[in-house]
Amino acid sequence: MSRAIVIGGHADSLAAARVLAKRHEVVVFAGNQGPGIAEGWVPRALRLDGLLLFSPEPWVAAPLPAGGRLELSSDLSRSVESIRRISPRDAVRWPEFCERMARLARFFETIYAAPPPDPLSFKFALRARALGKQGLEDLLRILPMPVAELLDDWFENDTLKGVLAGAGIAHLQQGPRSGGTAFRLLHNHVGSLPGVFRPPRSNLVELLRKGLEIHAGDVARISVQGGRVTGVVLKGGEEIEASLVVSGADPRRSLLELVEPGWLDPELARALAHVRRRGVVARVTLQLDRAPGFARMALAPSLDELERAYDDSKDGRVSQRPYLEAHCDADQRVEVHVQYVPYGADCSGLGDTVVALLSEHWGDAAADEVRVLSPRDLEEREGWPQGQAHHAELALDQALWMRPLPELARYRTPIEGLWLCGPGMHPGAGTAGAAGLNCAREILRG
Amino acid sequence: MPKYDAIIVGGGHNGLVCAAYLARAGRKVLVLERRERVGGAALTEEVFLGFRFSVFSYVVSLLRPEIIRDLELPRHGLHILPLESTLTPLPNGNYLAQWNDHDQNRRELARHSLRDAEAYDEFGHMLHQMARAIKPLLAMAPPDPTSLSPGNLMGMAKLARHFRGLGTQRFNTLTKLLTMSSADFLDEWFETEALKATKSASGIIGTLLGPRSPGTAYVLLHHYMGELDGVFRAWGFAKGGNGSVSAAIAGAARAAGAEIRCNASVANVLISGGSAKGVVLEGGEEIKADLVVSGADPRRTFMQLVGEKHLPGEFVESIRRFRFRGASAKVNLALGELPDFICLPGRGPHLRGAISISPSVAYLERAYDEAKYGGISGRPYMDIVIPSMLDPEMAPPRKHVMSIFVQYAPYHVKGGWTDARREALGDAVVDTLAEYAPNIRSAILHRQVVTPADIERIVGLAEGNIFQGELTLQQMFFLRPVPAWARYRTPLPGLYQCGAGTHPGGGVMGASGRNAALEILRA
Amino acid sequence: MKVGQVAYTPWCDAAGKVLDDGTIARLDETTFRMTAAEPNLRWLQDNAQGLVVEIEDVSDALAALSLQGPAARAIVDVDLKYFRLTEAKLGGIPVTISRTGYTGDLGYEIWMQHDRALAVWDELIEAGAPYGIVPAGMLALDVARIEAGLMLIDVDYVPARKALIESQTSSPYELDLGWTVNLQKERFVGREALAAEARRTPEWQFVGIEIEWESLERLYAEVGLATRLPAAAWRTSVPIYAGAEQAGYATSGGWSPLLKKYIALAHLRAPWAAPGTQLDIEITVEHRRQRAAARVVKKPFFDPERKRA
Repeated sequence: MSRAIVIGGHADSLAAARVLAKRHEVVVFAGNQGPGIAEGWVPRALRLDGLLLFSPEPWVAAPLPAGGRLELSSDLSRSVESIRRISPRDAVRWPEFCERMARLARFFETIYAAPPPDPLSFKFALRARALGKQGLEDLLRILPMPVAELLDDWFENDTLKGVLAGAGIAHLQQGPRSGGTAFRLLHNHVGSLPGVFRPPRSNLVELLRKGLEIHAGDVARISVQGGRVTGVVLKGGEEIEASLVVSGADPRRSLLELVEPGWLDPELARALAHVRRRGVVARVTLQLDRAPGFARMALAPSLDELERAYDDSKDGRVSQRPYLEAHCDADQRVEVHVQYVPYGADCSGLGDTVVALLSEHWGDAAADEVRVLSPRDLEEREGWPQGQAHHAELALDQALWMRPLPELARYRTPIEGLWLCGPGMHPGAGTAGAAGLNCAREILRG
Repeated sequence: MPKYDAIIVGGGHNGLVCAAYLARAGRKVLVLERRERVGGAALTEEVFLGFRFSVFSYVVSLLRPEIIRDLELPRHGLHILPLESTLTPLPNGNYLAQWNDHDQNRRELARHSLRDAEAYDEFGHMLHQMARAIKPLLAMAPPDPTSLSPGNLMGMAKLARHFRGLGTQRFNTLTKLLTMSSADFLDEWFETEALKATKSASGIIGTLLGPRSPGTAYVLLHHYMGELDGVFRAWGFAKGGNGSVSAAIAGAARAAGAEIRCNASVANVLISGGSAKGVVLEGGEEIKADLVVSGADPRRTFMQLVGEKHLPGEFVESIRRFRFRGASAKVNLALGELPDFICLPGRGPHLRGAISISPSVAYLERAYDEAKYGGISGRPYMDIVIPSMLDPEMAPPRKHVMSIFVQYAPYHVKGGWTDARREALGDAVVDTLAEYAPNIRSAILHRQVVTPADIERIVGLAEGNIFQGELTLQQMFFLRPVPAWARYRTPLPGLYQCGAGTHPGGGVMGASGRNAALEILRA
Repeated sequence: MKVGQVAYTPWCDAAGKVLDDGTIARLDETTFRMTAAEPNLRWLQDNAQGLVVEIEDVSDALAALSLQGPAARAIVDVDLKYFRLTEAKLGGIPVTISRTGYTGDLGYEIWMQHDRALAVWDELIEAGAPYGIVPAGMLALDVARIEAGLMLIDVDYVPARKALIESQTSSPYELDLGWTVNLQKERFVGREALAAEARRTPEWQFVGIEIEWESLERLYAEVGLATRLPAAAWRTSVPIYAGAEQAGYATSGGWSPLLKKYIALAHLRAPWAAPGTQLDIEITVEHRRQRAAARVVKKPFFDPERKRA
């Protein structure tokens, strides 16, 4: 069996490694990416024995201006009850909204379980048509829409719309009024139950690590000779030979930094340099001394509040009233998604701001070990370019057959034997393992 | 009263184009216009004695060349004078000029960035390809992708074939143009801030979106599709103002036998037996026709002229969702002298072209952010032309008229468009211009400010949206104005729609009117 | 390349189609000067991604004068091999002189700071007076370069950047520049495409054409006129036929007073591109389209020993 090297320790790299292990001797260089919770939809082919998918219940709680909380559940009738208290009209519309969004999410699920489709192919047209008249209409209308417009079309309550809009703007330097954010909501909905608009978490990474040869080494360079890959060179100088290298590092780093210059056409290099990253999320972790009374809490009071938070970031500043989403585990460890925190922004005081905003909603609990990871920190720790967890921001022009570039969308690179997997490839962006799975399958297809 | 083959409601340019094509095919056509003259938002008015303004729309580019040819508009008085430059004055006394002359343009760009000077040709080349790729779509009635009828299936197959024929690279570039923000799209080509801003500005025209909003690159392409004498992207000024465009089309319509009645306001469509049988004027007069074609915007057409109760519930819901949100205003000035720009003092060739107040993308984005919650941009985006420089008959000797297109002035401004707010907008415009041409204040003899509320009130465009509905992808092509009703027909048999609220949208194109007429003649 | 060496070369895009052509000179160990017909700064910068290199556009800082003709060496008085370059002084003014040119004759190109150009011009005119130096412009240069078989961008080929359709593009092989392509080099932009093309015969060739005098004379005599010869070189596309089929087209041509021949540069489909092939070229005589006999010849038309000696 010939050797295959896989770079990266996230779900996509590990998934690719596992699939390739059927025919190659696989060595994984995970850098400092250790085992951890995987977040995102897991494709069916990776539903291994022992896989645990979990989603908190309710999947989100949001404080209401008049007191109390909006709680949305995987149980539709529970959600309807909670919504009815703030808007009977919205409660009536909730089930239909969930059904229509779920139908579109299922459509995307089939697309995500394979390499990107050819949008002009008859096959794709048939698949789209299988959505039915209303489903197809929904797809064509909703794809380019701002999530604010979608939600304004369906609902009236600000808090409900704010909470849902969070799924439309996560990790994007766009506000809810920006086009393409409705697509992001749908992307986030893939693999979840109807009415649940956040992706599940799982132990996929832990499972995938079993049985794989994983090294902590950092790859400094991918060696290329005569247009073919010949192996990698580690940070310490050690050379490992292989004729197949799969990189889970972001596409730009993989091709413009790890590979030495001169192997790519200048037009492709220029296009790669233009792939937009723009991380806007900071992560704040803290330890509470007792349960806060929520599993996931979102502070997104309205669409306009989110939009204003986005406006602040245009000047390179942290939002005055950032969008927060706090996730609390069984050990009262809280992880907070803080948006918008532009790459390079001054994060001093951010920890205090987050604690101040959240503490209004966690009762008597006290917070300790408050740690702030800015986009720059996340870049260093997790390898997220410019702090962008998705490697390439999930905009409509950087999605599907154009993710991250049309020339690279099917995981193959112009360098023979070098392939790309990872969040920056299709479907990537917050899904767990699918990009790696698709990539490896393409490789095995020959 | 004799019965007509078709009644066109509204004498805007699309209604007139529709009337002209139907009349040329031998139909007996009547156009009913509410105001005392035709033109809609394409008209010239002597607002102040001796000074003629294109009060609303003020430039020509997108008027379809096939319409100009078919209706022989030059013979009916249409004479377009090209605008040969765009000047972007900058706050530091510098400027960026874009000239029609290729080499002059290159030298000027090179003054700012050698890289941009080089990229410019390739950029123009690319947009040219894109405009060619989109062009066939402008003259087609969009096929319905959700329909299984043979006609629609064939239409979709033809569309797919057309896009496949572009080749992968061009198809992907087109996809980018359809989905990106104009700022992001231009960032991939240029580095000069003023150049990016001035070009992104065509992506925000008539839209309540900023240059960083995805979807604005499409609007940029839309405005690039204008052709003048076979040259894409050329903009011109109609001699006699935009009213001469409408007058020429009306002349062609009359020459073909169409009847045009002004001061005839249609109250509603006459409906009997579940179909449109004619119209009823304010005052009660009934006029019968086999077909009624509405040139009014979709909201006015369906909610007012027809009425909800005659339409399917789902259709009404969709019309309600169709968004207008006008964000543009006009300030028209009568000047005693020409503006003297700090960056290019004196009377130079730049005064014969357009002047764009768009020094940076951040400037435009800030203008947008101020307006999106109901404010008015303190320092707005402005597109300025001085028609009297090209057509001296627009103003008395040695005096001038200036047309200023302004954004953003949202229809839903907080507190509404009071007289005070209208004047405040006018002041903001003059203050901004004075930063670049300080003599403007003393040069102003008269000022007219037209807000979105005025546009709605005077011309009848819902929420003052100049395109009869936003040009966002979710309501374009086969979704314009609503899914399944994008082929100029309506759920009411006998009623058609021909305004810019249908494909391909607005911009004094005339395409909607022509396409509607051809659909009617095909039926 | 050695220091002081100059090379002529086209460069291609990833599809192996010519973007532009020009020269590259090695000024010292680490400095090269590139000339091109069109601006290429952006292209070079994009190619330089990840490389340690400084690129400066000196188009406005540098001026160049071309001195061509048999007396050129005497005037410039510098010992320089063909396609080599050296520093020198002309009347005390520092210049770089390269033995290159856009004609088929012995000649030099002289490079100087832009603000010394007039002074250098004056120097040359004075030094050249005894040799009959004459200022020459584009009209003269056009004829000279056609005699030399040298192509002109936008006239004889469409640069890939400007091509609207694929058939407008040309590979180096199709422009008789195959000799500039070195497939042994490990990597250069367009290598794969050109390697593939080298395995096939190129569809088109770029050749010289000589129009037969007798044929031309006959056409004019038929309408009672003496043979009309173009006063200047033309740059239009003129069809060339092989019987009923169109074999290709000429893109530059004119009367060479030096060779006393009516010559042209043409693109011909491979089957008809061999030297000696007899073809017909379109010519308009008294408003009517006619055909004159023409023959494929090797380029350059004019190639004296002194050019390289």
